[in-house]
Amino acid sequence: MFYLSFLGFFGFIIGMVGVASNPSPYFAAYGLVMGAMAGCWLLVTFGLTFLSLVLLLIYLGGMLVVFAYSAAMAADQYPMAWDDWSVFIYVMIYWILLLIGWSYVEELDVISLFENLSYVRCDWGGVMMLYYLGGFMLLLLGWVLLVTLFVVLEITRYISFGNILKL
Amino acid sequence: MTPLMFIILSTFLLCLTGLVFHRMHLLSALICLEGLMLSIFMGMSTWCLQFESMMFSLSPMILLTLSACEAGTGLAILVATTHTHGSDLMQNLNLL
Amino acid sequence: MNPFALAILLISMFIGTMVTLTSSHWLLAWLGLEISTLAIIPLMITDHHPRATEATTKYFLTQATAATLILFSALINAWNTGMWELKELSPLSSNMLSLALMMKMGLAPLHFWLPEVLQGLSLTTGLILSTWQKIAPIALMYMIFSSLNIQVLMIMGLLSIIVGGWIGLNQVHLRKVIAASSIAHLGWMMIILPFSPHIMMLTFLIYILMTTAMFLSFKIFNATQIKMLTIAWTKMPVLVALMMFILLSLGGLPPTTGFLPKWFILQELTLQHIPSIATVMAISSLLSLFFYLRLTYALTLTYSPNTVNSTIMWRFKFNNMFYLPLMVVMVLATFLLPLTPSLISF
Repeated sequence: MFYLSFLGFFGFIIGMVGVASNPSPYFAAYGLVMGAMAGCWLLVTFGLTFLSLVLLLIYLGGMLVVFAYSAAMAADQYPMAWDDWSVFIYVMIYWILLLIGWSYVEELDVISLFENLSYVRCDWGGVMMLYYLGGFMLLLLGWVLLVTLFVVLEITRYISFGNILKL
Repeated sequence: MTPLMFIILSTFLLCLTGLVFHRMHLLSALICLEGLMLSIFMGMSTWCLQFESMMFSLSPMILLTLSACEAGTGLAILVATTHTHGSDLMQNLNLL
Repeated sequence: MNPFALAILLISMFIGTMVTLTSSHWLLAWLGLEISTLAIIPLMITDHHPRATEATTKYFLTQATAATLILFSALINAWNTGMWELKELSPLSSNMLSLALMMKMGLAPLHFWLPEVLQGLSLTTGLILSTWQKIAPIALMYMIFSSLNIQVLMIMGLLSIIVGGWIGLNQVHLRKVIAASSIAHLGWMMIILPFSPHIMMLTFLIYILMTTAMFLSFKIFNATQIKMLTIAWTKMPVLVALMMFILLSLGGLPPTTGFLPKWFILQELTLQHIPSIATVMAISSLLSLFFYLRLTYALTLTYSPNTVNSTIMWRFKFNNMFYLPLMVVMVLATFLLPLTPSLISF
């Protein structure tokens, strides 16, 4: 089981190195997609299926579409991928630091060694809690989402007039 | 340190260094913020498993909601910056 | 802005801070900080001037990073101890957390966003940013003060006092000067925090009073640069005279309120047998005092080099909604020193 989750470990780190090494936003979004996919895989191997589903739907279904769209808006003329020289130096430095960090890993996790996929895991209970004891939290989160709607609309409101208006 | 702890720490620190070092685009900075949130999400959901806390497994969903809000606001700011400064390059943010 | 949208945003700013103040769980504390950050952003960007947009961008990036850092240090603490309560912290996470909170407030090595952001905002939003938005991080610091690292607080606090005095010397913009004064005052608070959190809260209260009075006066004069202060007397001579007291109070001169926190902090540090740091603090607050005195000089002792037929402004009555709060805050921010015994014992 550990070997399966190791795939997730590795993919997650590769994705995050891809994000952090300052490529063009196109490729950074790819890195984030890869990281999120690997994270989903990791959670599935641990048996946290519901959280994995939420992550997949929200990250890959929702936010990354928006990010890809924005990346199209903010596109470079000559996009830098990971084979570009400056980005490649970042990638190398990050990998060296990660290897140094990996040498501090001594023991294996309990959850990745003794894992069984068979029975219903606890993370569905969190949903129940959100609707049962955590009702106030649900209300607060709904309020935050409403406020975010207002925030986004207010921020982008005057844009159609151009910035001549206030200058 | 266990491997799980290692990936949580290392991905968070990677994205943090990616955020604070030289960013060319505002959008890359926002993507790094999302990476930070993703690593916290992983840490929280595996924390529930490690400590067998069923009650707490709603917290990654709360985190994801808030990070979606933050990403939305960040993209709106990106749009506003693109309209006032002409592009989303970070080096254009030098008026103040 | 539409008054309904404004009401929703102000209410959520209030809710966010209140959630943080009443929380005992790190996730809720973080949630409150996020809500209040989200809610202030449209207020900052209200006039879609390029400067306002840029200030909003910088504010958003720093605050979001600091918030994730707060949550991450709480997560590391939970991995080590298994608890999410707001009480005990392991050393690593307490250091990381204090750095994140200081980044949120704008203390010295992490202060670079504060003058720039404040410069791009209107005076009202700047008032909210430099008073109300600091309540939640300060309250978190107050709640976890026993597990904070004294060395980190000392170094950051001392550096803030020095840097705050230093960057204020060079400015002609009033909002940047206020940002510098905010950095310096927060430095005083951070130094006293591990020894006496009550004095820290008192200092914070008085800082809020003085900054509010300052911002409201600037708002009435509509002044954003020092040169605009030189013609302020044509509008309201009385307010100019009172503003002089406010500035001296910010500088911490004895008959005014601002002397109170400095007095108690220096006394407490002396009682804790660290007079060396107290001496450095007292000396570097002279730097701050210098730019307050320069503002005072421009405000009260100089004539602007133009024709003085503008006293006609005295005849007009200005209807301003800020007069009443300004009166209250002004009195509190200048003449509170005689009440010191009752303030310190509550």
